[in-house]
Amino acid sequence: MRTDPTDTGGLFISRRPGTRPVRYREVPDRKQGPRRAVDAIVAGGILFFMGLVACCFWGPIPMAWLWVGAQIKYHTDSVSIGIFVAFLGMILTLLAGLALMRRLDQFWILVRRAAGHDQRKGVIGPVFAVAAVVGVTLFTIWLVLIAGLSPSLAPTE
Amino acid sequence: MGLLDYYKRFEALSDEEVTEELKRQSAERKAKALERVEPVDLSRTTWPGLPHPYVVNSITYAARRGLNRYADPHAAELRAEIAHRHGVETGRVVVGNGAAQLLASAATVLLEPLDELVTAWPSYPLYPQLARRAHGHAVPVPGFGADRLLAAVNDRTRIVAVCNPNDPTGELMSLEELDHLLGSLPERVVVFLDEALVEYADRMPDDGSLGLLARHERLLVFRTLSKAWGLAGLRCGYVIGPDGSQALLEQLEPDLGVDELAQAGALEALRSTGARVARGIETVRVQRERVVEALRDGPVEVQPSQANVLWMRAKGMDGAELARRLELHGVIVQPGGAIGEPGHIRASVHLPQHAERLMHALEQETGAKNPS
Repeated sequence: MRTDPTDTGGLFISRRPGTRPVRYREVPDRKQGPRRAVDAIVAGGILFFMGLVACCFWGPIPMAWLWVGAQIKYHTDSVSIGIFVAFLGMILTLLAGLALMRRLDQFWILVRRAAGHDQRKGVIGPVFAVAAVVGVTLFTIWLVLIAGLSPSLAPTE
Repeated sequence: MGLLDYYKRFEALSDEEVTEELKRQSAERKAKALERVEPVDLSRTTWPGLPHPYVVNSITYAARRGLNRYADPHAAELRAEIAHRHGVETGRVVVGNGAAQLLASAATVLLEPLDELVTAWPSYPLYPQLARRAHGHAVPVPGFGADRLLAAVNDRTRIVAVCNPNDPTGELMSLEELDHLLGSLPERVVVFLDEALVEYADRMPDDGSLGLLARHERLLVFRTLSKAWGLAGLRCGYVIGPDGSQALLEQLEPDLGVDELAQAGALEALRSTGARVARGIETVRVQRERVVEALRDGPVEVQPSQANVLWMRAKGMDGAELARRLELHGVIVQPGGAIGEPGHIRASVHLPQHAERLMHALEQETGAKNPS
């Protein structure tokens, strides 16, 4: 149904976009009391786990695949194969992580609704944004303060 | 129910699913609205269409011009228009609040206690009431014809009321028969020729009955704008009398005349909507023949009609029962029981779609053939 004013000659048809009630296939049996508290805790747990997964994108996953690539280079004595495997594995793992994040986000919406919230949108965007800020900050600290900006293979003296 | 199943119940329909659901609901509403067929009322002889905008405008103008003053009590302009239309002198025309008021006034003026009003029966139910209200006595004569009426005339007869074409049977008394009736009546008897539905007759020359006024001094011809002219709500009719009847006609006129709105509307109708009325009349004539032809030799008996009504009965079925069954199909007709003819119904004929509905309903309930 077109409700956007740009589609309807400047008029809002029916409700304003995004304000209609959530339509369920069948009206869910909403629990009260402790069950809602449990659902809220579960939702928080899912959110925390999503944060962990998102943070993995900015450090652990690339580092793990670089380590795998190094091992392959060591065993095959081929830098190209090592780089290829490392980047391919990194990309596939990131894509799998994104798919997992997407599913977690959908499930988080359902749990939030079960906890009594009128949850309409997911939280994947903000989680990524926060993880990016955290990841980039940690990377910068590591790069500038720990590893140093000079090449590690260059002579230090 | 597992944990995941519990949470899955909170899944919302997608926008596409919601749109599909709304479309389905909309289609259902539309289908229901289209399924609903408004009942068609064929129990009335009035025209089903709305008045011409010219008429409405004229009435509106008259209303805004000044309802604070009395209207012309003699409706001079309207009478002149009617007289011009029929080719008679203005003094021989009187306008009233519908033909019924003029008929009632004429009966009151003419009938003495115990005088008789003779009328064919079944006919317009108002005639016996007119007689009773004027302290007279109504004599209904079974059947329709001049000789039958003449046979019922006696010394106490003062009025013979002829509805021509007859409502509800649609029968028409020819000019020759009317002439014979008028010529055979005693001098004391006045004939009320009620031509409320005469516009629909195609076997009677236009204004043919008015020619009788030249030869018969005891004839009053009543016309109305309520039927073919489609202005029943205005309550406007007129009576035309023979030369020399002016004194009687003056007594029939409403005391303070016809209201100004009715005068304005009737005048505009006569001046501007003649062609539209003629088209309506032609439609009725065509549809009337169509229905009669379709029902010929079927289980429903219908007699040829010269009016906008058909008088019919179904073999082996009471009129009230037939009317009830037709109403189930959204077709409302007039059962004949109220006028002592329980076997019959009266159905008016106007627009093609109405005739269609009538024939379809009759086909469903009686097995009458429907050519469409």
